[in-house]
Amino acid sequence: MSKIIFRLLLSFIVFVTVFIVIRQMVIPDSFGKQGHYRANSLEDNKARVPFYKGAEECASCHQDIYDLTFSDLHSEISCESCHPPKIDANTDCKIMPPKVEGTIEFCAQCHKMNAGRIDKGVPQLLIEEHKGDQNCIECHNPHAPWELKE
Amino acid sequence: MGTKGINNRRKFFKASAAIIGGSIAMSIMKPFELMAQKKDESENIETDKLPLWGMGVDIERCVGCGKCAEACKIENDVPKEPFYFRTWVEQYTVKKDGEVKIESPNGGIGGLKQSVPDDDIFKSFMVPKLCNHCTNAPCVQACPVGATYISPEGVVLVDDSYCIGCSYCIQACPYGARFMNPFTKVADKCTFCYHRISDGLQPACVEVCPTDARIFGDLHDKKSDLVKFLQKNPTEVLKPHLNTKSRVFYNGLSSEVR
Repeated sequence: MSKIIFRLLLSFIVFVTVFIVIRQMVIPDSFGKQGHYRANSLEDNKARVPFYKGAEECASCHQDIYDLTFSDLHSEISCESCHPPKIDANTDCKIMPPKVEGTIEFCAQCHKMNAGRIDKGVPQLLIEEHKGDQNCIECHNPHAPWELKE
Repeated sequence: MGTKGINNRRKFFKASAAIIGGSIAMSIMKPFELMAQKKDESENIETDKLPLWGMGVDIERCVGCGKCAEACKIENDVPKEPFYFRTWVEQYTVKKDGEVKIESPNGGIGGLKQSVPDDDIFKSFMVPKLCNHCTNAPCVQACPVGATYISPEGVVLVDDSYCIGCSYCIQACPYGARFMNPFTKVADKCTFCYHRISDGLQPACVEVCPTDARIFGDLHDKKSDLVKFLQKNPTEVLKPHLNTKSRVFYNGLSSEVR
C-alpha cells in the first residue's frame, strides 16, 4: 500500500473514532431509552414541589369552616380557590397564612353581571343596584354566603 | 499506470466504502451497551398499563373567574406579567352584527368583564385554553434536539435542561399554548401539573375551578370522571382539521372558537 493511501486511511479512521467518542460524550445518559428524549427528564418534571394542598389538608385545622362551606351552594369551591397558597405544600402554611381581603371586587370575579355567565348556576348581580359600594361581607358570611348576618 | 495501480485503487475504494458504511452504521446506532439496555427497557414500558391523561373543558359551566389561570401561575412559578400563561380564559362575544370579539385581559385573572353593551350581544361565552397535549404534537416534531416529547402517559413535556431556546416549538404550536420563559430562557408550557398528577393529585386548575368546568382524568380508566364526561356530552377538540388528535376535549364548543 502506498504511503499516501495509508495516511488517508489512517486519518479517516482517526476522524471516525473521534466522531464516535465525541458523540458518546455529548449525548446525555438516558437519551433514547424511551424515545427521542432524555428519560431522566420525566423525573425532573416530577420533582417540582406542589403548592396546592387540597381542601382536606385545610380541614385538618379548620374542620368547622370546612363543614360550613361544604354544606351548601359553595361546596364545589375548594378552600384554595379563594385562599391561594403563598407557600409550598411541604411548608407549614402558618408561616405565610393565605389571607384574603374580602372586597366587592373579590366576589365580583364570579358574581358581577356578565352576559357570558348567565344561566350557569352562578347568581349574576348588578352590584351597583344590589347594595352599591357596600362590602359584600358586611351582610354575607364569606364562608357561607347564603347566610345573612344580623 | 499498470494493473498494480488499478488494483491499489480498487483496494482503496473497497476499504473506504467499508469504513464509511461502518461509521454510518455506528453513528446511527447507539453504543453497544446502550443498545442492549434499550431493548430491555422498551420491553418494560407497557403504555397500556399506564394512565393516559386527558382533560375535559365544559364551556357551558365556565364562568370566566380566572381562578385556574391564577392557580397555574402560583403552582408552576409562571412569570406574573400578563403575557405569560400556561392556561388562560378567553371571553368570546358574538355581536348582533355577526362580529366576534375575543378578549382575555390578564388571561382572565381577576374575573373577565364584559366590554360589549348588553344590547349588542348575540351570545357570549368563556373558553378556557391550555396545551392540548396532542397525540401528533407539532411542537414535538419541530424540536431539533428532542427537548420536548410526549411522556408515556401522553403528557407533552419540556426538558428544561436540554432545551436550547430556539422557539421553533412556539411557532409550531397551532394553539399558542407555549411561550418563552424570560427567566429560564427555555420554552414553557402546561404539563397537566405533571408533578401533581404523578402524585395522585389533580392539576392546580382543576383543583380550584369553582364550577367544575375542568374535568381531569385517565382515558384508559373507563370509570374515570373524564370518560363519563366524554360519554355524556358531545365533545370536540380544537382545530380538528389539523389532525393533532389532541387530548383536551371541549363541551359546548361553538364554531367561532379559534
